[in-house]
Amino acid sequence: MSDEPRRARDGSGRRRPLVAVALAAGALLWALAARALWQSTVPGGLRLPHADPRATFSADFLGRSASYERFLAIDALLGTIVLVAVLVIYARRGQRLMKESAAGPIGTGMLLGMLGLGIVWLAELPFDLAALWWERRHDVVHVGYVKHVLDGFLGLSGPFVAISFALLIAMWLARKLRSWWWVAAAPFFVALALLLSFVAPYLLTVDSEPLDKHSGSAQTAADARALARAEGVPDTPVYVDLVQDQPNAGAAGFGPTRRVIVRDSLLSGFDRREVRVVLAHEFGHLRHRHTLKAVGWLALFLLPAAGVVALATRRRGGLARPEAVPVALLAFVAFGIATQPLLAATTRRLETEADWTALQTTRDPAGARALFRDLGTATLTDPDPPAWRSLLGDHPTLMRRIELTRAWEARAGGPGAG
Amino acid sequence: MSHPVKLVVTDDLQRTRASVFFRIVLAIPHFIWLTVWGIAVFFVVIANGLITLFKGRSPDAVHQFLSEYARYYVHVQAYLYLIADRYPGFSGHLGYPIDVRFAASAPQNRWTVFFRLVLAIPALVVIAVLVNGYNQAGSLLGTVAVLGWFSSLVCARMPRGMRDAGAYALSYQAQLLAYLFVLTDRYPNSDPLAALDDLPARDDDPIRLQVDDDLRRSRLTTFFRLLLAVPHLIWLTLWGIVALLAAIVAWFAALFTTQVPDGLHRFLAGYLRYQTHVTAYLFLIANPFPGFSGEAGSYPVELVVGPREAHNRWSVFFRGLLALPVLLIAGAYGTLLVAVAVLGWFAALVRGEMPLGLRNAGALAIRYSEQVNAYVLFVTPRYPYSGPTAAPQPSSEPTPFLPPDPSTAVTAGA
Repeated sequence: MSDEPRRARDGSGRRRPLVAVALAAGALLWALAARALWQSTVPGGLRLPHADPRATFSADFLGRSASYERFLAIDALLGTIVLVAVLVIYARRGQRLMKESAAGPIGTGMLLGMLGLGIVWLAELPFDLAALWWERRHDVVHVGYVKHVLDGFLGLSGPFVAISFALLIAMWLARKLRSWWWVAAAPFFVALALLLSFVAPYLLTVDSEPLDKHSGSAQTAADARALARAEGVPDTPVYVDLVQDQPNAGAAGFGPTRRVIVRDSLLSGFDRREVRVVLAHEFGHLRHRHTLKAVGWLALFLLPAAGVVALATRRRGGLARPEAVPVALLAFVAFGIATQPLLAATTRRLETEADWTALQTTRDPAGARALFRDLGTATLTDPDPPAWRSLLGDHPTLMRRIELTRAWEARAGGPGAG
Repeated sequence: MSHPVKLVVTDDLQRTRASVFFRIVLAIPHFIWLTVWGIAVFFVVIANGLITLFKGRSPDAVHQFLSEYARYYVHVQAYLYLIADRYPGFSGHLGYPIDVRFAASAPQNRWTVFFRLVLAIPALVVIAVLVNGYNQAGSLLGTVAVLGWFSSLVCARMPRGMRDAGAYALSYQAQLLAYLFVLTDRYPNSDPLAALDDLPARDDDPIRLQVDDDLRRSRLTTFFRLLLAVPHLIWLTLWGIVALLAAIVAWFAALFTTQVPDGLHRFLAGYLRYQTHVTAYLFLIANPFPGFSGEAGSYPVELVVGPREAHNRWSVFFRGLLALPVLLIAGAYGTLLVAVAVLGWFAALVRGEMPLGLRNAGALAIRYSEQVNAYVLFVTPRYPYSGPTAAPQPSSEPTPFLPPDPSTAVTAGA
């Protein structure tokens, strides 16, 4: 029997062109927003001169780092395959766990969401431990197995609360708006992401102390103040993370909560010029409001992701029903994996802009090159990985970053410009 | 099948003030004799373990010797902690108001004899909470003894609830001693309902616990139980802040009108029900993920809250002071609940089921805590009853959980 009479009755046939127009307008808006977010202060058409890794790194290091990262990449790949397989099984059978709930539909959906994350954590654990074993074997990290597992287990509480809250909103909207819930849900999630970005600096600096009060860092603190002023983000607090052992740094927050966090291992293991480049890079993130840009990209990702989830859960009666939650998890993760290269490209773009800003501020390309070389050596990072791994990286490869310093040098008028 | 070690209570609750006042001093001769006798018992227990390992049962003479020591130990404990009043004899013979009956020597499983000390670890955790604690005042027995000391001095009588709570601890103590002494291979039973005969029913208590739980536990949700409860704990905290403000309003209302407004009573009752659901879920006393509304009849471990009652103004005015003793006992029960959850977590992961004894011990702890909360929040003027209460064994034949039907649900006194 044809669907025509039904369509005529419920009006869906008449609405179809309207829906198509609305979706097309949405797609256009999406593209315009993406274009705006893609803007960068890195000169367009900048050609990166080829740099030979062997000129910067020893052959022994290149071999060791390639082997080291190859194992981690294979481990991550296998972990991803298992992740998808587990979620497929969970999507098919997860609804059986509904009997473990005495809550209503939304509460039961929250339970299924949390259990999905828990099952994924369990399935990923062997790969996680294999990676840890490999990193410990290469003396890159020093955390113990038990602590790592316990931290991971207890660390699930954050994602559990987040997915519960997300499902509370999404399922409530799905009960109210039916199949169009995703249009309304995406702004909710973006607002939540914005809020988290705003308060995250407070959470990230729990185990930290201000750089001003950090023993032996008076010079660095003075450098930080000068660099922050130069980049137009004066009085940005800088904190020293005393816990994490791999040298790194980060910028978080926006407006009154913006701050930079530098790991103690970076301050103690790198010279002044290198630390200045790191600080200038992080201030560069804040100067160009990369936290907000990241939320913007997240919004552009979440909107179609929520649409995909809405489509995928239709056969289970929509996200208003708890039995659709395992399918929603699978759809969301699959969408995330499929779009990972795109998201990685956006973060690489932001990192490149921060690198460029650091070069403009410090005018020290040699210091930047030394930083990238020493950072690679300390973390055993492959400076020039295969293209497929570069595409998934959230930072440019070390060689691309070194090439950027050469490009900046060329534009600024030769080596040691400034 | 009843446990081969059974506590028999014939105590009449009467206490002699002078004897209570000097109790710890009066017990000194018993401490000395207990120590001297204990040295001999140490070597006999080792011998008994070896003999039982080879012969499969404890020799009768050795069994009797060790039984008498265990019984004497319980007599002295009962005397010291005011669970009984009469000065005990030094022989460990039957006839004391808090007594222990041991079944005759029976064949034992040799594997459990060989691994006895390892197997006893969970029971040692429970006894640490019930009797020993980190310090004596922190254990259930220690807490009821301290409070009972004041009560007995004033009233020349030990409150029944406190006496029974202490007797429950001593029952477990006796069973553990028998297990450690290799007198029996039956594991100590932590079920408060099975520990004592003639428990009061207390059907008229305005705050009661209904347990329709079937003991089945999902291994997956058990493994992640602590984390799965986090959203509930957040919601409970937010609700608790409002409930605290509501209790302040209830305090004024009860003080001036002797009644808590009906809407306020229902709101606070809903909060207590939700708190019960979340606590039962978190501590593995029930299996399903609870709802967020605290709806009556929606959970297998349910708090039954009676209608509002008239309050005594003096009792309302001094509620904070009056609640201090029960808060101390609630603290001891809270520690028991944590121990139950930790042990139950391992048991449920392995067996897919919560041991009945642990479940009922946890249910007792929850019931008492909720009675205390109801008293503190002016949901009831009735003082909490600290002992276990009688109830049909709710889950000897496991049945799947169905939403509780008020017409068929049993009232678990635990």
